[in-house]
Amino acid sequence: MIKYLKEYRFYIILFLFLLIPITAIDTSTRAPRNHRFYDRVILGITSPIQTAISISLDQIVSTFQNYVYLLSTRQENLQLVEENRRLLNSIASLQETQQENLRLRKLLAFQENFRLDTVAAAVIAKDVSPEFRAIRINRGENSGIQRNMAVVTAEGIVGRVFRTTANSADVVTVLDLLSAVDAIVERSRARGVVEGMTDEVCQLKFALRTDDIQPGDLLISSGLGSIFPKGIPVGLVSKVNRKAFGITQDVEVRPAVDFSKLEEVLVVTKIHSEPLLERAESREKEKAEAAAVARSGR
Amino acid sequence: MIRLFLRTANAPVLILLVALGIAIQTALFASPPLSWIQPDIVLIAVIWCSLRRNLLEGGILTLIFANIAEIHSSAPQGAMLVTYMAVYLGVRAAAKFLVLPNRTSLIFLTMGSAMLWRLAMLILIHLLGAGANLWRHTLIYLFPGAVIEGAIALGLYRALDRFDGVTFKSPRAQHILEDEVQLEGEGL
Repeated sequence: MIKYLKEYRFYIILFLFLLIPITAIDTSTRAPRNHRFYDRVILGITSPIQTAISISLDQIVSTFQNYVYLLSTRQENLQLVEENRRLLNSIASLQETQQENLRLRKLLAFQENFRLDTVAAAVIAKDVSPEFRAIRINRGENSGIQRNMAVVTAEGIVGRVFRTTANSADVVTVLDLLSAVDAIVERSRARGVVEGMTDEVCQLKFALRTDDIQPGDLLISSGLGSIFPKGIPVGLVSKVNRKAFGITQDVEVRPAVDFSKLEEVLVVTKIHSEPLLERAESREKEKAEAAAVARSGR
Repeated sequence: MIRLFLRTANAPVLILLVALGIAIQTALFASPPLSWIQPDIVLIAVIWCSLRRNLLEGGILTLIFANIAEIHSSAPQGAMLVTYMAVYLGVRAAAKFLVLPNRTSLIFLTMGSAMLWRLAMLILIHLLGAGANLWRHTLIYLFPGAVIEGAIALGLYRALDRFDGVTFKSPRAQHILEDEVQLEGEGL
């Protein structure tokens, strides 16, 4: 037996080296998977280094920029004071508009009002391979981040958390091949799934050929799948190719988020989706019940 | 004794160095335009292993390196193991038939391997049914990526050569170590 093993040692090793990677392939490419124990050991070494490099780079860039900006600081300062005054006025006006808007929404019970619990995080690294578009953020399980949480910015959807460690998390962005976000066209309410293409654009799949989709249309998250809150911008339609036949149309989407300038993100840890009208109704109900109790007591 | 310890520490330290290399690569080349000239540290380490290690040791190191790369990527599980192993075995086979007299030939081999890796990844992703549009991205990156890989490989191969020398893993240092162990055994 040992003689044969020695004789065919080369072929046995070769066979094992071919077999191990093939058996390791995960065919369910979209299924979320978390780090194993030994992965976490490696990440325990690499994550702090990534954070340190990221912070150092930021410091270098900001020092350089501060030096450059110092040249025209006084002039900019005056401009900023003026801009600040204007913005304060705008904020006051917007707050008034917001209040009015809330009242109208409550009256019409037209749309759900979402409140989100979020955790702010900084991007510390990107994917090791240019074929994939994941990013790593500096917050993890210790900050309450879990797999399949939505990651957003003020501009729109960034992606979803697909792996976590204690102090870092990997986010698969909407540009990634493995990303899929259920979306609707804001104007026509046409539905589809936004998938990454690795390049700077995504594609809207499964949009029917008869759907009204035009370049410039805004795509928002549909809220299906319970990962992304409803109504968050996903991107703008940049190209539509509608053939004379077939079931679907080819729609190219430019993400709402500028990934080349992505530095900070918000991880949505909880979605409060209690509609305003329901909240108002429940409050009225509570008041009525309290009054009834008071009357019966009397 | 210290020399034997250094020789034993060669592989774990090499793994650690690759992990550090990936950390630097992913953090330093995170934003454009630097992301466009991102080299692949793992690929260079894999090529190095295929040329300077025996089949078993090199293969195990390749699997470990590929796993480290995979945990820093959103690539489907096993994709990097397959592609890096393909490069490892491909380079080993090529080294059997090709003569690599100097560093220039090594650079060309690295460039070829970089292209092989990208094509292997493209084929694999297609087989998994995930990357219908990856060919465009691969075409853009294929040649520039190979050139960058070749350029950075020169310095890294030198550093790895030196590392092997320090840890008594290079053939020359290995002979010296074996002679010393033999002399010690004979009481000299």
